[in-house]
Amino acid sequence: MRAAPRTPLVLAVLLLAYVAVPLAFGGQDYVMSLIIAALTIGGIAVAWALLGNLGGLVSFGHAAFFGVGAYVSALLTLDAGWPVLPAMLAGGLGAAVASVATLPALRLRGPYFALAILAYAHIFKILAVEFESVTGGAGGLLSIPGFPTVLGLELGSKVGAYCLILTIVLAWMAVYAAIRGSTWGLALRAMHDSELATRVVGVPSTHLKALMLLVSAFMTGVIGAFNAHQISFLDPDYAFSGEWTVLPIAAAIFGGYRTVWGPVIGALAVYLVDQLVFKELMPSGHQLIFGLLLGAMILWSPQGLLPLISRLGLRSGEGGDKEGKPGARA
Amino acid sequence: MLALESVSMNFGGVAALSDVTLAVAEGETLGLVGPNGAGKTTLFNLISGVFPPSSGRIAFAGRPLGRAANWKRARQGIGRTFQIPQPLHELTVRENLTVAQRFGAGKRDEARLDEILELLDLADKQHVDAAHGLALTEQKALEVGKALAVEPRLLMLDEVLGGLETSAKRAFGGTLMTVKERFGLTMIVIEHDIETIRTLCPRAVVLNFGRIIADGTPEAVFRDPEVVRSYTGDAAA
Amino acid sequence: MVELTLQALFSGLLAGGTYATLALGLALVFGTMRIINLAHGELVLLAAYVAFEMERSAGLNPLASIPVALVVVGLTALAIYLAVSRIRTDRELNSLLLTFGVAIVLTNLILIVWSADIRSTSSGWFLEGFVIADTLFSMRSEVVFFGVGLALIAATWWWLNHSWLGRALRAVSSNRDAALLMGVNPALVEGLSFVVSGVLATFSGIAIYCATVVFPALGHNLTIKAFVITVLAGMGSVPGVLIGAILIGMGESLTATFAKPSLQELTAMVVFLLILFLRPRGLFGRR
Repeated sequence: MRAAPRTPLVLAVLLLAYVAVPLAFGGQDYVMSLIIAALTIGGIAVAWALLGNLGGLVSFGHAAFFGVGAYVSALLTLDAGWPVLPAMLAGGLGAAVASVATLPALRLRGPYFALAILAYAHIFKILAVEFESVTGGAGGLLSIPGFPTVLGLELGSKVGAYCLILTIVLAWMAVYAAIRGSTWGLALRAMHDSELATRVVGVPSTHLKALMLLVSAFMTGVIGAFNAHQISFLDPDYAFSGEWTVLPIAAAIFGGYRTVWGPVIGALAVYLVDQLVFKELMPSGHQLIFGLLLGAMILWSPQGLLPLISRLGLRSGEGGDKEGKPGARA
Repeated sequence: MLALESVSMNFGGVAALSDVTLAVAEGETLGLVGPNGAGKTTLFNLISGVFPPSSGRIAFAGRPLGRAANWKRARQGIGRTFQIPQPLHELTVRENLTVAQRFGAGKRDEARLDEILELLDLADKQHVDAAHGLALTEQKALEVGKALAVEPRLLMLDEVLGGLETSAKRAFGGTLMTVKERFGLTMIVIEHDIETIRTLCPRAVVLNFGRIIADGTPEAVFRDPEVVRSYTGDAAA
Repeated sequence: MVELTLQALFSGLLAGGTYATLALGLALVFGTMRIINLAHGELVLLAAYVAFEMERSAGLNPLASIPVALVVVGLTALAIYLAVSRIRTDRELNSLLLTFGVAIVLTNLILIVWSADIRSTSSGWFLEGFVIADTLFSMRSEVVFFGVGLALIAATWWWLNHSWLGRALRAVSSNRDAALLMGVNPALVEGLSFVVSGVLATFSGIAIYCATVVFPALGHNLTIKAFVITVLAGMGSVPGVLIGAILIGMGESLTATFAKPSLQELTAMVVFLLILFLRPRGLFGRR
């Protein structure tokens, strides 16, 4: 209902993304690589935002799920001969299974949860190094199979990989939007400030949070698997790198993690500006900009960039759900 | 319907409830009275499973509740309100009821939500932000509405009439009687106002310092000298 | 076997002294403001790099650069406090994200100024052996900074319990509103706790520089270690921090001796999670 007047906008964006971008940049491998990397971060940012906004849980360890997804998918294709696309889904499932180990952390309050998940990321990384017989240890895995050709579209090409990650990210956004718009989404939103009140009307709040953690981990795992097959190389330091946590958080906070589009727009903006502008200006240490951005957003617009823009005049009706606005919903 | 057997509750050595044994029959409306700090709300918290009792047993509809989680008890048919209204934040009035119905009663029935909103005089406000857009009377009505949307068999009302003016109190009291008849509820009502208890409840139980000191018709209970001693001071305050 | 165990316990004990200094600053801010300063490790690292710079460009002994490092790190800590104190909503989580951002900024600043190379002191005195009772081996730096760590812990403990400001700090940490009623200005006390944590971070950074090597990414690991010890100790216990630090130090050194060094971090992380899940108050916490 609320989405109806926005349909043309969504269609225009889809057209732009699937047709205009490949036409414009298809020949420039470097630009396409950057966009693919930005969407990879955007995908994790959506998963992170789903957990943050709906589960009310801030995670500092999504690298854990990224890494597990990457390893599971890579190993299934390398050692068990799985085709790549099913293996990627299995990578997501693997990450979801790994997230079951983190469920005890749900009992912890906000900051403790955030750092407990970080501890899990460290533990997973150490395990990846130590179980050398399976994971190849610190040396990592080489020649991980690339993407197949589906319906004539060569997913292994830059444009193909772009279409694949774009589809995955859009699917995750759709999942995020669907959950947010459902009765479950209502209950999840209410849980932040009124957990007991939701429980006494029958909402199993801990179960719902756990479910969001599983969904978020699954999403992140699939993205990790995508990355492994795209660059065809994996080692523990890379797969469980803190960057898979830092960049998505900066992107989601910048774009606004309470909105569906925010995390992806944030990722595209932050990553592309970083790579195209700041990396040119200062070859090392340019990630400084992520820290500055994160700090500045927290201080001046913790709801993200979109609400900031809409506050400046462009009333969008979406986002800013936190602000009291009697009678604004219809 | 509800049976408490030697229920006690201690908070860090302080006894909030001591050895409370109480039975509530199906269809009954029980008034729960007593001075502040007598343990009335603690009793609601134990029945609705906010925390487990230190000792004793609670059975609902013939089955022991044991350590069942609070959300499970809602699904078994125990609805409650909070003394300080606790609307579900970020949601509209109607969304509040939708969540309660979907999770507490396990279904979606828009007609029934319409009926609850109508009964509680909230129909005009159903799209208002529940946490920020309601007057006190409406907040209290929403408390009752959330509990009703769960489709309870037992409804526990914690001072839903408190803080209202006399006329509003009378009108809302009437609404509660209608609601009880319409949905065939058993009710426990915490209330300070003796007059309200007289009109709503055929039976009253008085708690003082965590113990039941009287149990009977409001007339008999309020004549009890021990009750008068414990209760009048508070009522006059 | 016995000798090996004793040596591991001894090394762990000495490491614990340095760890305690590292963690105490974080624990202090955590105790007063309920804020986990995720940039704490970077403050420590900053002190180490100040010492490195003074040694490289002025030939100063690391110990002689303590005054300069105190000023640099103290001011940085104060700046972090000023930023954090501007947060109005959901301070607990937003401060976590904010200090996370500050940590990223500091790490990259260090990277830009001093490059990604691994740095260590050129003063060999600290690295020379020190043998106790012919059997227990250590480096001079370890022994010196174990002593310094103990002294700092004792001084902080005394200061919290006996000075007026220290008591005000404890008052704010246990009940912010009551402290306000008592005429204590929480903002002043909280700012002070950040500065004191900067002082502790400075000593910790110099100690780490003298005893081992530093590189830009180290800050993150230091923060994690400090937080693990803080959780292990529990809120508001200074001796708890010392004991927690020594336990972690010994746990790591036993792991390195009897399993392998690469599993050290695993020990710390597993201990951390177990404490969070089984005894969230920590070993010596008040609540």
